[in-house]
Amino acid sequence: MSEHLIAGTTELLDGAERAFAGAPGAEALAEARRRLHEPLRVAIAGKVKAGKSTLLNALVGERLAPTDTGECTKIVTWYRDGHTYQVILHPRDGSAPVQVRFEREDGAVEVDLGGRDPVSVDHLDITWPSSNLRKITLIDTPGVDTLSEGVAEKAYEFLDPKDTETPADAVLYLMKHIHASDMRLLEAFHDEAVSQPNPVNAIAVLSRADEIGGGRVDSMASARKIAARLARDSRLRRLVQVVIPVAGLLAESAETLTEREFKLLTELATMSRSELETYLLSADRFIQGTPGMPLTSLEREELLGRLGIYGIRQSLALVRSKTVHSSVELSRELVSRSGLTDLQTILTTLFVDRAAVLKCRSALLAVERLCEQNPDHPGAAGLRLQIEQIMAMAHPFNELATLAAIRTGRIKAREQDLLDLERTLGANGTTPWQRLGLKQDTPADQIRTAAYESIARWQRLAENPLSPHELSQAARIGIRSLEELAVSLG
Amino acid sequence: MAMSAPDPQGDVRAALELGVKAATAYGRPDLVQRLNVTLERVRKPDVQVVAIGEFKQGKSSLVNAIVNVNICPVDDDIATAVHTIVRHGEERRAFALVKAANDPDGEGQRIAIPLDQIRAYATELGGIDPSVIVKGVEIEVPRKLLADGLILVDTPGVGGLSGAHAAAGMGAISVADALLFISDASQEYTRAEMDYLAQAMELCPGAVCVMTKTDLYPRWRDVLEINKGHLARLGLNLPILAVSSMLRMEAIRREDKELNAQSGFPALIQYISNDLIAGKARTNRLTAQRELYGVCDQLAGQFEAEKSALTDPAAGAALVAGLERAKTRAEALRGQAARWSTTLNDGVGDLTSDIDFDLRARMRAVMAESDSAIEAFDPLDSWDEFEPWLTNAVSQAVVANYRYLTERAATLSSDVAGHFGQEGQELFADLEIHNAANVLSRVSIDPHIEVEDLGRGAKGLSALRGSYSGFLMVGLLGSLPVLATVGAAIIPIQIGAGLILGRKTLKDEKERALQRRRSDAKNAVRRYSDEVQFQVGKDSRDTLRRVQRQLRDHYSARAEELNRSTSEALKSAQDAVRVAEADKSKRIKDVQAELDRIKNMRAQAERLTQSPTGQSAPARQAV
Repeated sequence: MSEHLIAGTTELLDGAERAFAGAPGAEALAEARRRLHEPLRVAIAGKVKAGKSTLLNALVGERLAPTDTGECTKIVTWYRDGHTYQVILHPRDGSAPVQVRFEREDGAVEVDLGGRDPVSVDHLDITWPSSNLRKITLIDTPGVDTLSEGVAEKAYEFLDPKDTETPADAVLYLMKHIHASDMRLLEAFHDEAVSQPNPVNAIAVLSRADEIGGGRVDSMASARKIAARLARDSRLRRLVQVVIPVAGLLAESAETLTEREFKLLTELATMSRSELETYLLSADRFIQGTPGMPLTSLEREELLGRLGIYGIRQSLALVRSKTVHSSVELSRELVSRSGLTDLQTILTTLFVDRAAVLKCRSALLAVERLCEQNPDHPGAAGLRLQIEQIMAMAHPFNELATLAAIRTGRIKAREQDLLDLERTLGANGTTPWQRLGLKQDTPADQIRTAAYESIARWQRLAENPLSPHELSQAARIGIRSLEELAVSLG
Repeated sequence: MAMSAPDPQGDVRAALELGVKAATAYGRPDLVQRLNVTLERVRKPDVQVVAIGEFKQGKSSLVNAIVNVNICPVDDDIATAVHTIVRHGEERRAFALVKAANDPDGEGQRIAIPLDQIRAYATELGGIDPSVIVKGVEIEVPRKLLADGLILVDTPGVGGLSGAHAAAGMGAISVADALLFISDASQEYTRAEMDYLAQAMELCPGAVCVMTKTDLYPRWRDVLEINKGHLARLGLNLPILAVSSMLRMEAIRREDKELNAQSGFPALIQYISNDLIAGKARTNRLTAQRELYGVCDQLAGQFEAEKSALTDPAAGAALVAGLERAKTRAEALRGQAARWSTTLNDGVGDLTSDIDFDLRARMRAVMAESDSAIEAFDPLDSWDEFEPWLTNAVSQAVVANYRYLTERAATLSSDVAGHFGQEGQELFADLEIHNAANVLSRVSIDPHIEVEDLGRGAKGLSALRGSYSGFLMVGLLGSLPVLATVGAAIIPIQIGAGLILGRKTLKDEKERALQRRRSDAKNAVRRYSDEVQFQVGKDSRDTLRRVQRQLRDHYSARAEELNRSTSEALKSAQDAVRVAEADKSKRIKDVQAELDRIKNMRAQAERLTQSPTGQSAPARQAV
């Protein structure tokens, strides 16, 4: 299915290159073609100090992006897989990219800008051999809403450039709470005619989730409730697929937990819980401690800086209850409790499994924009018709478009019908059991039965004379998805 | 807590009460009334402190921790939705300010609510009687700090998606004595926060920054330093107090002094009681002193005149003549034709049309921007985002208009005060008799005091306080009419329809539907704008009428007092000239005794600002 799509898109690009050879802006086509064969590009965006670099490190599983108490990331930085370690700097004035030196400070890649003003740098391109970057290229962006001059606009420019399409295929949007300026940035990512406001390629992350509940033991549960409520908010639903809580700092530290840190935690766990809680009332008290408290003040400060109050509480509870016995076990457990595991799963089902569709979508956008810029070019009309045909015939696109239509409130029906229809269209993942809302290991014959039942249900809805036209259309797309699903089961 | 502290305002009250007694004895009810107003202000020195900041920064927790009571609802998720006013009361009670849902323009009501219902009324949670709209919640708790006059106002945070936008809290800010700008220690200030702070400080310059949640962040000191840098760069010279509400509540629960010190609250409480409450008390003390000086001078005038006529009969005749001229002038000062009165009436007239024009110009700019925005998007897709933008732009316009009104009213007030002072001065310009003139010229000090008091800015104009607040505080900005046609006539664009219908017809139909949606949107915006202009226009006209009445009443009363004092002085001087030689020495003695009494009263007023307790009230802590 996705092979057809890629073939169709490649053919379109061939045609566009022939038609627009030598025309202004045609170099975008070569770029679009290159993108088609690269890993999916996922941008990490959000307000200043939302924890973007921290989450990026957690996803890579290595401390690459520098993080600090103050605002840190001021340049758009690409992290992609490659054979060698290198950093290429792309100046803003359009002059040739240059390779620059870097060093690793405390693990993080500190790039030597060679005396350049960060504002004069368009972006940095870091190549880093890493298995986690093989399927997706991650792009770190500066925070919006910053007080630093010249930095605030960069994220907007990146997600919503004036004369080309955005270089990202999908976006992970980080927020502490949903703020009005979060909405503005998210919208900047959705404005093309092909997509319409389109939640299919964006995921919202409630980052720093452990802080919402003030580091209490039930902080993550509280954050999950908030995420669930936000995910139902109509304004957010039209911009993102899901909202996931992640304790970013804990996730990063858990992924990179050292044997030494585990030893320190074990030592700390010798204190009784009630005694420890009086220190954990505040960060200052925990660091200062009292004579006789395990570890030095410096060691405690280091641990707190890595894990946060919530992370310390969780780690000590795990160690004390003998749930974990080694740094590896603790690391795994903390990764799961930080919400990172959930995020990784969602990333796979919603982005990686759909990479072909998302990438082709980006390519179609590029061609469409070129046609728009040269409306009188002889080839433009034909190319536009071709785009429309690909969009109409490629079922994954119809799925995405219908999903978007439901999300943006264009299709009216009973809420339950809409939710089920979204699921059928792959909103929760594209495997048969996910589309049908079944358990993971459901036997094939049960899946088949469920699929036929579901087809019958949507048929009734589609043919009901009282159903609005748009709903009937959407139900038919759902039926098509289920038919393809049934065929794949054999 | 129950320890009885010496009353720091006792001497002010005693001095004022003595003044009232004296003015009553000399048969001057006009002066009695003036002193009573001041007395009331000293008895009840309301200090409104408003907690502002973005949502979910810990404002409600902070308010709870300041007064040591868990009464403002705190939640991980659900944010405060309306203003919550915490003030002193003999017992814990709560009230909701509500309006009927079907009559949003009607009179508000204050209804008592059970304490466990505060959460339902004050937060976004809702779940109360849907036939009413909650405009605010008032909570009364017995607390020393509150009994001293502190009124804490918890506001809905700005920046979130639901409702409260930056301008909505401006009403509460405009009547505040001080602001607590609250931001948590998780990160440095953002641009949105700094813009909001700057805007708020234009309405209320007294502000202090509070950094909350220091218990949660080991690096809060770094954030503090970064924030200090941000404030310095923006030219805002504000202190930042770092606190942890959680530690404070825990400290109170455990009665742990050390923990309380770690919470950072002692500094905040000290700021509130020393700088704010005591500061207000100091201002009130100065006002009381000035009022007493004025009353002493007016009372002394008649006796000085009598004394000088008694001691030197030749000069007495000239004095009588001079006083007669002064009396004629003082009478003129009362009338409509007085210069201050003309200035006031003309000024208010000009102001009304200027303010109206200003609002119209601002709204027109917003409308122009709104129209061009609507041309650029499809209301169907972007109405949800457009609406907050519009309400925000409109409330910015309203706030700017309000600031303009405040400034202009303050200028008018000082113009009127200037003219009144000048005329008062001229009253006695040609009185040449040395002693009487000296004394009487002090009568004319009085208008100068008023210039200071009323002319020093908008704060002196109590009529301005609370204006627009009916509008802004309760967020009467209302809501935009919902676009009725949204959702109708929509053709799903990508669902293969392009291949079913002819490309052209589909495109035309889409275009027509889009145009219809746009014109509907523009009409909705225009209706909204008309409604806002009507409401705000009425509010500002009412405000100006109040300002006019306040200034007129104030200066009429002063003119009346001057008139009366001049008459009394004249009468005493005339009587003195006619007094038989035999009675003269006895009368001189009596007059001198009265003058000594008044002198004593004056001395008591002088001491009000000399005693050490008068300079700064002792630091008190609520724990």
